Amino acid sequence: MKWFLNLTTRSKLFVGFGLMIVFLATVIVTAYLGISALQASQKSLYQADFANALDLMNLRSNQNGVRAAQLTMMVVSDRPDRERWRQDADDRRKEIETTMRSLLDRGRHDPSLLARLEELKAIQDAFEQTRATQLNPLIFAGKIEEAKTLALGIQAERYGRMRAISTELGNAAAEKARASVADSELKAQQTVSVFIIVGIMALLLAVTMALLLNRVIALPLLAVSGIAERVASGDLTVNIPEDHRADEVGTLVRGFRALLENLRAQTRQLVEGANVLGAAASEIVASTTQLASSASESAAAVSETTTTVEEVRQTAQVASQKAKYVADSAQKAAQISQSGRKSTEDVGAGMTRIRQQMDAIAASMGRLSEQSQTIGQIIATVEDLAAQSNLLAVNAAIEAAKAGEHGKGFGVVAQEVKSLAEQSRQATTQVRTILSDIQKATTDAVLATEQGSRAVEAGTRQTEMAGESIQALAGSVTEAAQAATQIAASSQQQMVGVDQVAAAMESIKQASTQNVASAKQLETAARNLNDLGQRLKQMVERYKV
Amino acid sequence: MKNDPDARHILRTRAKALARPSQHAPAAATVLEVLEFRLAQERYALETRYVHEVCPLKDLTPLPCTPPFVLGVVNVRGRILPVFDLKKFFDLPEQGVTDLHRIILIEGHEMELGLLADAVVGVRSIPADSLQPSLPTLIGIRSEYLKGVTAERLVVLDAARILADPKIIVHEEVENL
Repeated sequence: MKWFLNLTTRSKLFVGFGLMIVFLATVIVTAYLGISALQASQKSLYQADFANALDLMNLRSNQNGVRAAQLTMMVVSDRPDRERWRQDADDRRKEIETTMRSLLDRGRHDPSLLARLEELKAIQDAFEQTRATQLNPLIFAGKIEEAKTLALGIQAERYGRMRAISTELGNAAAEKARASVADSELKAQQTVSVFIIVGIMALLLAVTMALLLNRVIALPLLAVSGIAERVASGDLTVNIPEDHRADEVGTLVRGFRALLENLRAQTRQLVEGANVLGAAASEIVASTTQLASSASESAAAVSETTTTVEEVRQTAQVASQKAKYVADSAQKAAQISQSGRKSTEDVGAGMTRIRQQMDAIAASMGRLSEQSQTIGQIIATVEDLAAQSNLLAVNAAIEAAKAGEHGKGFGVVAQEVKSLAEQSRQATTQVRTILSDIQKATTDAVLATEQGSRAVEAGTRQTEMAGESIQALAGSVTEAAQAATQIAASSQQQMVGVDQVAAAMESIKQASTQNVASAKQLETAARNLNDLGQRLKQMVERYKV
Repeated sequence: MKNDPDARHILRTRAKALARPSQHAPAAATVLEVLEFRLAQERYALETRYVHEVCPLKDLTPLPCTPPFVLGVVNVRGRILPVFDLKKFFDLPEQGVTDLHRIILIEGHEMELGLLADAVVGVRSIPADSLQPSLPTLIGIRSEYLKGVTAERLVVLDAARILADPKIIVHEEVENL
């Protein structure tokens, strides 16, 4: 059985169907031979046996006809009727001769039959000779009696002989045909038996081959197709048993096994890929969402920038006008600075005069300070006097007290002196305070004067510096005027440039609007991609690996 | 302003109040003539009958080997007189001696000396019965030299006791010359 399994399926099919074809060919050949034999027997039956019998019957009939026509001619007296009957007898005579010839031809191979036929033919010829040469002229000549004698004599005897021979021959032919039919039936029955035997053998062989091929080819294929159905339903966990068959089924099973292994590996990778794709699609969705929002923000920013650029353009226009105005102003400033320089020279002369007067004031203040010092000394003297007066008054009061009643008036005087001394002390104190204020004020004035002198000197120097500065300023202002002119020209160019920038910003704005639309589409596409990824994931999850 | 009846009324009322004679006019017999002076913001007084003269502090000559209350000696018109510092007796805060200080010269019991005063206010009369006896808080030498205290917290010193006090007579010998 092993060798059969290892045969290729084509060979198996060739072997199976070849055997069946051989049996079928045998049946066909057997049938052909049987049918050919039947045909041959039937042919011999019809051509030989049945034909002889039929011809003999025809022969007999025609002989009867000829005899009847001969007799009728004798009966009728009318000449045309006799002619008509003679003609009829002649026709039948010709048919008899034709039949005779075919009988002779058929009976060539049968010597006994041929001899009988030769005999029959000899009698036939003699009968015909008599009828044509003797009987018919007698009848036409009207010698009916003679004709009757002849006809009922020799001719009747000949007729009887012919009839006996043909009847004998006809019976023999019928017997022979009956035997041939029986032989043919036997042959047909034999042929049918052969058919049945060969057919049953072929049927058994076909059933065996069908069962064998079913077991060898169909069952493994059925198992494989069951596994394929499970695989189709997504179950990749099935295992196919190892098989070492060398035929196409074994190859198919091994190939299917390898396919399943590959499919399992691919599905595993596909699952991972789908998961990665799903995650990536989610990230892409997030990114595209961010991108879309960023694009919207940038579009808004670009819009703001466009507005800003428009403002900048207007500002540049204003700046250009201002620059022209500044250039004019700078020209005026240059003239003004020239006159300012002259003014500083005048200021310098004025400062010199102020300085001289400040010197005079300083001298006066010095003298005033010295005199206030002198006043202070005088006040000290007066104070001393007041103190001594006070003391004197006290002593006077003491003396007055000692004098008792007599000193009372003196005591009053002493009291008055004391109060005077007190008043003068207070006055001197006030004067000293005032003087002190005066001295302080004088000192401040002296200091102020000195500071004033220094300030005047500094003012002089600063005036000179201011003159130089104003000169430098005049130069600078002139340069500034030139610069302002250049700035005016530049700002004109700048304005043109800003116009171009505004146009460019407008283009950028349109582009960013399109960008936003693209980002929205991209986002939609990413969402579709994400949905696809999710669906793919679900699809892949159906596969059990 | 002059014809304002209110102002005129106020001025009249004030004039009547000022014109009222003093209720506590002291009797002539009980009046005490005193010389008022200051010692470190406290007011002190001496009876004028012991006071000889008041003079400015000039040319003070310190004396060695004397008690702390003896400042030194001065020359007053040819007389050499010792000068005492009462602050030492009354535990008053010390101040530097300047020309503005005065010396009150007192005499009695055949003795003459000068007392240092920060300032001399003047001679005034106080009723003798207004003097209150010495305060119980003043003890020791202060209560010895005290004659009385007026209601205005004027401390009247008894010059006679100061002059009669034997402690002020300095008798010290410095050996190991």
